Amino acid sequence: MVLTLTGRRWLIGIACALPLIYIVQAIVRVQTGEWNLLGPEPGKAITHFTGTWGFNFLLLTLAVTPIVRLTKQKWVMPHRRMLGLYAAFYVSLHALAYLAFLLGWQWGELGREVVERPYLLVGALSWLLLLPLVITSTKAWQRRLKRRWKQLHQLIYVIVALAAVHYLLQIRASWFEPVAYTLIAAFLLALRLWFFAKKKRARTS
Amino acid sequence: MLIPKRRYPKIDPSEITPEELYVNRRLFMKGSLTAAAALSTIQAQALVSPEGGSRIPSRPEWLERAVVNASETSFGAGEKPAPYASATQYNNFYEFGMSKSDPFENSGKFTTDPWNVTIEGECEVKGSFALEDLLKGIDLEERIYRLRCVEAWSMVIPWVGFPLAELIKRFKPLSSAKYVEFVTVERPKEMPGQRSVFSTIDWPYREGLRMDEAMNPLTLMAVGMYGNVLPNQNGAPMRLVVPWKYGFKSIKSIVKIRFRETMPPTTWNDLAPQEYGFYANVNPEVDHPRWSQASERRLPNSIFSPNRIPTEMFNGYGEQVAHLYKGMDLRKWY
Repeated sequence: MVLTLTGRRWLIGIACALPLIYIVQAIVRVQTGEWNLLGPEPGKAITHFTGTWGFNFLLLTLAVTPIVRLTKQKWVMPHRRMLGLYAAFYVSLHALAYLAFLLGWQWGELGREVVERPYLLVGALSWLLLLPLVITSTKAWQRRLKRRWKQLHQLIYVIVALAAVHYLLQIRASWFEPVAYTLIAAFLLALRLWFFAKKKRARTS
Repeated sequence: MLIPKRRYPKIDPSEITPEELYVNRRLFMKGSLTAAAALSTIQAQALVSPEGGSRIPSRPEWLERAVVNASETSFGAGEKPAPYASATQYNNFYEFGMSKSDPFENSGKFTTDPWNVTIEGECEVKGSFALEDLLKGIDLEERIYRLRCVEAWSMVIPWVGFPLAELIKRFKPLSSAKYVEFVTVERPKEMPGQRSVFSTIDWPYREGLRMDEAMNPLTLMAVGMYGNVLPNQNGAPMRLVVPWKYGFKSIKSIVKIRFRETMPPTTWNDLAPQEYGFYANVNPEVDHPRWSQASERRLPNSIFSPNRIPTEMFNGYGEQVAHLYKGMDLRKWY
């Protein structure tokens, strides 16, 4: 790698912020006259946009370990934390956009909706599970939790599976994107199973 | 291209549209003859919808003339129609793709002239009719209706059309005709959604009404909107509008009408019978299995206000249609 670790951190950090920059400028333009830029339902468009990017970053985070293992590109590893934090960030924006733009902060409605609509419950759970991972993402927590840190952060497997279910449950007729995301997630999770199996075999032999 | 002579007093796009754009549009919609005459066709087309590039398509002269000369009615007085750009760029028309902007983007090559409609089944007058012959002698009128989508959003649309009953009478349905089936054109070469391997829909799109629903004076056959001909993405050249039912009942680009003794199969009901019924009456008390139907988002809305309003039984048209369902359990017949 030509760039230093710090250089790469900056580059990747800015790249990851591009979707945010895009949507913020779009919101500003919508609010300043280009009312039709995001269509007649801008709140929904923003919610879908942030949700899609949340999922993209979850998959990217999950792809780091297999990339390092299979391609020996070790330099990718130190960037996993940032990708994971961005995933949590976009998922949080997605939840916020839902609450603010689609629900209009009608909390009473939220209670009813979450219980009645399974995809909301699944999505909410996925987001809640991300929170402890964000809190314990620091080096200090990593040291404090030792081996249990890794176990805790394997929660991401559950989180991404819930995200896939959250997406699949909303299929009406266009199943392509939800199914594509699910297949990629399933593939990345299957790689883990394969790694575990290999490790086990190596240990027993 | 002809210039409509009416304006839309209920449109007040100033709330959401920049001033200079809406003044242009109002000038156009107002269509004061002097102003209209001063505009070349191209200028006029550019003005009709300055927001977002929606264009009014070009159609046969007879159709444009008939639409422009439609008479005003009191339907929807007090309603505020959605801006033209919203009504023409946010559509469910899966023949052209699955996202809301696909129909606007992918329907440019769709040809609607010549257009024939086949009449079949339990009726005396059958055959294939050119659209012009089909509409001969029918006076068009403008009606502003609320359109409630099953996805819990709604828009107010000024349609130009005529009561379906007028058309039906011409074919002299037999007493055995208990239902009317409608079929959308199947033209994969012009409709990318019909070519798509990812589609779960068994083309062509089909819809149906019970005979008394079809004959109800509210049921409209539309050939125009916003004082002009229908754009491709809105179901040109002729579509159904059933304002007390969820939007998917209002089938677009109709090529076949068949009178039947039995309930016809309908596309969404076939695809997911637990989610979409044959009747599909707007009903705030019967939820879709995955979302509530108690309220709706009236579009266009804005980022910071979802514009949620309560959904009304039969979309607010109960006075005209509730009697059709007397004694029926609408939870069962959703």
